[in-house]
Amino acid sequence: MRLNVLSLQNVRVVLTALAAYSLAPIGPVAAATIAEIANLQGSQREQILVEGAKKEGKVVIYSAMIEDQALRPITQAFRQKYPFIEPEFWRADTRDLLNKALAEARARAVVGDIIEGGGVSQALIKAGILQSFMTPAFAPYDKQRYDTKGSWAATRVSYFGLAYNTRLVKAEDAPKTYEGLLDPKWKGKLCWAATTETGGAMMFITFIRLIMGEEKGEAYLRDLAKQNISNLTGSPREVVNKVMQGECAIAINIFLHHPVISAQKGAPVAPQPLEPVMSNASVVTLAKGAPHPHAAMLLIDYLLSKEAQEVLEKADYLPAHPDVKPQSSLQSIVPSMANLQERFLSEEFMFDQRAKSIDLQKKYFRSQ
Amino acid sequence: MIRVFTGWSPIVLLLIAILLVLIVPPLYFLLKTSLYTTSADGSFGDFTFEYYRDLFSSPRFFSHFFNSALFAGGSAVLAIALGAVQAWIVERTDTPLRQYVFLLAVVSLGIPHVLYTVAWLLILGKGGPVNLFLMGLLGTDMPVLSVNSLWGMILIEGMIWAPLGFLLLSSVFRLSDVAFEEAAMMSGAGLFTTFRRITLKLATPAVLALLLLVCIRAFEAFDIPALVGSAGGVSVLTTDIFESIRKDLPSNYGQAGAFSVILMLLVVILLLVHHRLLKHAERYQTITGKGYRPHVTRLGKWRYITASVLGLFFLVLLVLPVGIIMLASLLPFYDGVRAELFDRLTLDNYRLVAASPSFRGAILNTIVMGAATATVVCLLTAGSAWLSVRRYKGGWLLDQLATLPLIFPAIVLGVAFLQLFVNAPFAIYGTLSSLIIAAVVQYLPYGMRFCYAGAMQIHRELEEAAEMSGAKRYATYFRIVLPLIAPAVATSWLFVMLMSVRAVAMPILLTGPRSQVVAVTLFDLWGNGQITSLAAVGVCWTALMMGIGLVFYRTARRYGLTVS
Repeated sequence: MRLNVLSLQNVRVVLTALAAYSLAPIGPVAAATIAEIANLQGSQREQILVEGAKKEGKVVIYSAMIEDQALRPITQAFRQKYPFIEPEFWRADTRDLLNKALAEARARAVVGDIIEGGGVSQALIKAGILQSFMTPAFAPYDKQRYDTKGSWAATRVSYFGLAYNTRLVKAEDAPKTYEGLLDPKWKGKLCWAATTETGGAMMFITFIRLIMGEEKGEAYLRDLAKQNISNLTGSPREVVNKVMQGECAIAINIFLHHPVISAQKGAPVAPQPLEPVMSNASVVTLAKGAPHPHAAMLLIDYLLSKEAQEVLEKADYLPAHPDVKPQSSLQSIVPSMANLQERFLSEEFMFDQRAKSIDLQKKYFRSQ
Repeated sequence: MIRVFTGWSPIVLLLIAILLVLIVPPLYFLLKTSLYTTSADGSFGDFTFEYYRDLFSSPRFFSHFFNSALFAGGSAVLAIALGAVQAWIVERTDTPLRQYVFLLAVVSLGIPHVLYTVAWLLILGKGGPVNLFLMGLLGTDMPVLSVNSLWGMILIEGMIWAPLGFLLLSSVFRLSDVAFEEAAMMSGAGLFTTFRRITLKLATPAVLALLLLVCIRAFEAFDIPALVGSAGGVSVLTTDIFESIRKDLPSNYGQAGAFSVILMLLVVILLLVHHRLLKHAERYQTITGKGYRPHVTRLGKWRYITASVLGLFFLVLLVLPVGIIMLASLLPFYDGVRAELFDRLTLDNYRLVAASPSFRGAILNTIVMGAATATVVCLLTAGSAWLSVRRYKGGWLLDQLATLPLIFPAIVLGVAFLQLFVNAPFAIYGTLSSLIIAAVVQYLPYGMRFCYAGAMQIHRELEEAAEMSGAKRYATYFRIVLPLIAPAVATSWLFVMLMSVRAVAMPILLTGPRSQVVAVTLFDLWGNGQITSLAAVGVCWTALMMGIGLVFYRTARRYGLTVS
């Protein structure tokens, strides 16, 4: 790897970029192509990015992180590190993130440099609007945490399970297994996000098929349908709020860290993992038409850095970085720490199985 | 071809050209969208009729159409009933404090639909105070009422339209001839018999026309069905459009396009019926040359009853929803109305709103959008209305064109403009300008109506006098006509401003991160479960808009213009 840094090609990329800067005062984007900037290597890399970012002065991130919990703190921390870059953010669920990125690419009016969230990479790769990137920030991560082709890198891990209202359900009564959800006493008391989002019903269905197989999985879903699950329309976070408000006793397939965060504020809600615990990774991607490529690369580096991962950790999120351990309050929901069995659901698998799972969702749960 | 336009003033031609440029492209892209498949990158694919075929072969289309019809009809009846009771009390009785109902109705126009709906969801939701009370009463642990249902949608939509129903109906009651009622009373009919057999009968055509108008608006409504019905699995045609866009990755615009075209055709049919009704309504005209004066019934002791009815309306339509939103805005998290929450009151949410650039940005964007939309609409319609009233050559076409966008439900216009902007040869998608262009098209008909009414009131002789004195035609327009219709234009400006800033259906498809507006921010906050932030933003915004509503009320009153 070291030798690679000094390879002729890298030197050429760096020199081209530098030369372009000195010659082209019109604007940084015109200077080097986004592909070149995204794949810069060598000792000058950081400096080139910083110089370029100073001219850009801005970076725009579209993310599914909850605004007040994580997105605002992390962009503020980035601002402190690079005071000359003003980070702008927009929060939305996966589907809206994708639609916005696709529409912007089509309209040749790209605003968002970076798209971050669960399940964003596959559709964008298919549409051909992502720029692959390479950064030394990948180094500490496991191979499965980033795409070897450079289309995406994991920023955070999520675990999924149940949330229940502690006023309506006693801890000892809460379902402890997937079969436990079929108990007739929960009829009419279950809810989920009836969406195709990360944390939505479709994802749960895909996971059930993965762990139980097609035949047993479908039989399970058929039984589950008899429980009359409330199909809620908001994000999984909103589903947890509905549990807190007593609108629903038990929520299925929510992000397990959400009830932990709310319980700390005194809300009547608690998490309950089911084995095997479903896990997936949220990823960061770079738009092909990114208007602020230098600043975007700095932000990507930052998001993957130990420093930013610690910001996420403090926000009670679950960092992807191997050296940043989740907060002690969250350890009960982290399978490796709570001694629970874990099963990883990859974006590729979820995307490939989409159509089949949506069909099952329509067939048994009459939503969408 | 050219010969057709001979004698058309250049200003008429210019206005026609502007209107055509505004209206034809979105219509074209809407039709194209419904007839082409969508590729992986979102561009147009192959020509196809499959979306229309899918639509008509799906049993869900008809059941959702039925839902739409029930929802629209139910909420129209409710809105008109609530409005009629208030209008009669205010216009035809001597109930104390009745004059304030106007003020409240106008002020309530400032509350965004999304906020009002959220308030009622909190009140009537499964964990809300009403259900908790009923559950305690019946001794059950299951929620008694489910607001995420057709009746919930009808109730909330009906209450949202009640103030407008009142404003429209009060002018009907004010203007009807009282001679018939006096005759009835003289013949020994009681108060209620007279109301039922004379007042109501005379008002019937106007009421029917209004009923249909609210019905059309509710048929096109997106926000209430999306917030209330979708969560309970109740779909209507407008939410189908929205959902069909969001269902697939990438978005399948073809199905949304086909839905939109069908919805638009249905609205055209309803509008034609409305037009016929209005024509017949003239036969019931009761303002005659005879000196007419509004008649006020002396209610005696009954007036305290009617006053309490007004008080109840005030409480239910305004105090309750605004109150629960204010309460939610002061809580760290919302988990229902319960006694212990008063220990947790905090101003954190307001601090967040003040500190957040995204909320400040949304508020600023919305004000700019509302003001710009209203200004452009007024610029286009103030001239068009006069040219059309004075029957200039081509004036009829101006009138028709400016009224044409009525056929687009907001969500349909959103789909049309989305496709137009995304395919535009220049980068306009996601900008505030794009929102303004779309909103101008949507509100042209309203601007036209106000200005047309204003222009109708000016007698030709004033202009003739100016021309006799040697004034050029444009000088006449700017020095005589414009000052005279200025109050109508001002009212129109404020009305368009108030309407455009609270709409969510179209902006939700068009806004980008740089062009967030308040209504969409509220909608997103609801979806993300940030109820307390939503409440704080909502309270700040509503206070601002109620102020503008107050100005609107005063201008409209001073110049004797009615709100319709």
